[in-house]
Amino acid sequence: MLLPRWGGHNGRGRKRRHTHAWFQGKLIMHTKESSVGKTVVFISFVLLAGVLPCLAERDDTYDSNELFNMAPEELMNVSVVSASRQEQKITQASVPISVITAEDIHYSGLTSIPEILQFTPGVDFYKANRYWDVIGIRGLHDMFSDRIQTLVDGRLVDNALFGGQLFCTYPVMIEDIERIEVVRGPGGAAWGANALNGVINIITKKPEDVLGGFASTTITEFGDSYTYLRYAEKKDDWQWRVSANYEDMESSDEALGNASEKSFYPALNNLIGFDSYKARDSARPFRFDSEAIYDAQDGTKISFGTGYSGGTLGDFEFEGFFPRQNNRFEQVRPFVRIDREHGDDSSSFLEWSGNFETINFKSLLIADTKENSLTGQYNFAPANGHHVSIGTNLRWTHINTGADYDQQVVFEKEPFDEYWTGLFAVDSWEVTDRLTLEAQLRGDSYSATETADWSGRLTSLYALDEGKDHIFRLSVTKAYRSPLLALRELSGHLMPVGGGLYLFNINRPDDLKNEETLSLEAGYTGRLAQGVTLRFDNYYQSYSRLIGYDTMTDGSGLNYLTADNIAGADAWGSELELAFQNKKGKLSVWYAYNDFQADRDRQDVRACLPAKHKAGLTGRLFLADGWTFNANYKYTDTTPDNPLSRIDSGSSHRLDLTISKKIDKGSGELTFGVSDLLNNTIEPHSGAGNITANEIPGRTFFARLQFSF
Amino acid sequence: MKTHVINILAAAVMFATADFCNLGQAAQTKGKPASIQASENDIKAAFFYNFIKFTEWPEGKVAEPNTITIGLLGENQFGDAFDPVKDKLVKDKRLIIKNLGRFRKSFPQNDAGKLEFANYIKQLRKCHMLFIDDSERENYKAILDAVKGYGVLTVGETEDFLDVNGIITFIPGTDKPVFEVNQKVCEQEGLKISSKVLRLARKVIADKDPDADKNK
Repeated sequence: MLLPRWGGHNGRGRKRRHTHAWFQGKLIMHTKESSVGKTVVFISFVLLAGVLPCLAERDDTYDSNELFNMAPEELMNVSVVSASRQEQKITQASVPISVITAEDIHYSGLTSIPEILQFTPGVDFYKANRYWDVIGIRGLHDMFSDRIQTLVDGRLVDNALFGGQLFCTYPVMIEDIERIEVVRGPGGAAWGANALNGVINIITKKPEDVLGGFASTTITEFGDSYTYLRYAEKKDDWQWRVSANYEDMESSDEALGNASEKSFYPALNNLIGFDSYKARDSARPFRFDSEAIYDAQDGTKISFGTGYSGGTLGDFEFEGFFPRQNNRFEQVRPFVRIDREHGDDSSSFLEWSGNFETINFKSLLIADTKENSLTGQYNFAPANGHHVSIGTNLRWTHINTGADYDQQVVFEKEPFDEYWTGLFAVDSWEVTDRLTLEAQLRGDSYSATETADWSGRLTSLYALDEGKDHIFRLSVTKAYRSPLLALRELSGHLMPVGGGLYLFNINRPDDLKNEETLSLEAGYTGRLAQGVTLRFDNYYQSYSRLIGYDTMTDGSGLNYLTADNIAGADAWGSELELAFQNKKGKLSVWYAYNDFQADRDRQDVRACLPAKHKAGLTGRLFLADGWTFNANYKYTDTTPDNPLSRIDSGSSHRLDLTISKKIDKGSGELTFGVSDLLNNTIEPHSGAGNITANEIPGRTFFARLQFSF
Repeated sequence: MKTHVINILAAAVMFATADFCNLGQAAQTKGKPASIQASENDIKAAFFYNFIKFTEWPEGKVAEPNTITIGLLGENQFGDAFDPVKDKLVKDKRLIIKNLGRFRKSFPQNDAGKLEFANYIKQLRKCHMLFIDDSERENYKAILDAVKGYGVLTVGETEDFLDVNGIITFIPGTDKPVFEVNQKVCEQEGLKISSKVLRLARKVIADKDPDADKNK
């Protein structure tokens, strides 16, 4: 019996320089090294950008006391880090949260948000192809997985159809990110509905923090490029910023010379024409983002902006269908927001945001979604020790879908108009100097499922000392995930076998209920000494009504799949992180244990399970003369096979290194680095619905040049 | 190939353009590092050093000979922030950092106490720059009255410091350094702060236009 490939994974492994692919004991493929041409290009860039600035570098050099060598105008741009203020914010958070700072992002040298996120405790990661990076928090990750919520400045960016994340299509640029907050575990009440397993909140920089011009370009040994320009200005009561970026990512075939393809069901190879497959996973997105803020000086601020992204992505095989035509996408994300300080310890905001997206994924479907969201929140202190926030969120989603090919998926009734209404309240109550209780409650009504549901969190924070350097946290949480359109309304047939029949037939389900989770958490956060923090988080999570695909096979071997709330699961684990930071650098080590057990044997959960053991290390040294060295390391244990894939993964090690040098009195910086040093290539990884996958470049040398002006 | 050539050309053009833009007078964001962060006190220490470099004191300024003194008054926690410049030469004079602790309000009412008080006040008046941290907020008036007329560049870190005739104050709670200058009091003390510093201030209170707000 052939089983649907809605979930599944394969591991990462070590590959030698000359790659060999074996099938049934026979060598079927032998790939060559990267082309000489790309090496020449890379070396040329190094000579042009690396040697010339060094020759032009003036006699002034930095020592470790660079602040005293700076001119007053240079000092104005140094960011103030009040360690106690920032650490206090995190130590007193009611959720297990890790924060990736702009400095972490900058010195990683990476241009992909998920690749940066993977170095965070508890985060699972794999590369489906060159541009599609998959992220999960404590597992349940896949190309179309909807168990985490992604926000940009508090605004939802998840795909309205599938609920998943394709980060390379977002109009968010690495250099515009101030920090990324990664919340582990259910975050439904505070961040919005549907945050079943976690939240990723990307916070962008304000214009006044990045005044002037800034340019950056990154080039890899494969000829990929990432070019970025920004300008920000502040005048009187106005501040504004515009950013633009173009990324050109070669396909694995072009990067490796001839990336090997792997079929996970060789018996289907003739049927799907596997021998003709090529790795077409290139990406060429263009991004634009803008923000303007007007400060009326009477406690009112109005901010507005828009983000745009569009471009082409190489298509891929999906359930045996591989059109060999590029995918296209386009997103526009405008917003308008009014913030008001009322002068009596109260504040409020009202925000409208739009999320207008068009995708033309040749292997899959054509979809046009229009989301309008209105959010209002009021913060006040009603009584001694209480800090209350109440608010509401209204969202209208309009979805049109279409299909160019018979094998693309369709939605039987369309267009769709869906409405989401939410009310929430949060109260943080300082009961005593040491004890804080926080209650979060949220209720939502979703027109598509004609149901209402609620999520909540109750947390107690107890400080062991007066200075609140050591805090214990105990939480009980309930969250849910509503089934989106792709689960409720999707139908289709895939892999024709002749006679008008298809091997896989997807039926529209009758009724899907919300997935639900209850979680018990206990944690400790401590500031052990100046610049030294320890975080230890533990959790037990019980899931119910997880949605997967039930499969029925008829006598002729045709498969009929229907989404259903199959069963629940249990998850438990711990995350431990020790970090040390001072003006000379940073060192942090972490370990995560994330376990997951479905209620039924071989239960489809539409996603990969978490790797049980994960560990990481980040080291950064600010050396003399403006040099900085950075290392990111991560170990990922064997990922338990998804019950349906029957394919084991392997453990993996990833090491990224960068060395940076400030040039031209700090207005520029040159960086050389290597990502994934330990793996020449990444083995094909099976995502949701893929029968085949291709090899992806691993070890990548790159150079980056940046200038402020 | 075309893409690769474009990439190289783009990098070269960007480098050349940025270098050209860096010629001439520095803009406010010139030399802005890709990402530098430092503690509040380290940044303040660097600013104090620059204030000393870009301020002229009157001819008759009472001070220890051949030294420039920065006095730190209050519960300051500068630690080793000044180590790189302590005892170094600034304007051909040795830079002294004096930790003065909390402001002493009371002295014994005997002759020894009066003498001690006089010496204490003299110590404050001999400072070229006196930083008064926010723990001394309730003593602002007493401190500023004590050093008035002695050419002391007074620097605070609360929003109301200029209102009580302080000369420079850092505005708290900002992600980047923000300071304001009371040039009126500055001139009354016979001090001359260079425009290189004044133009960076968010607000300069001048004699002619007391509410001048540069809003940088």
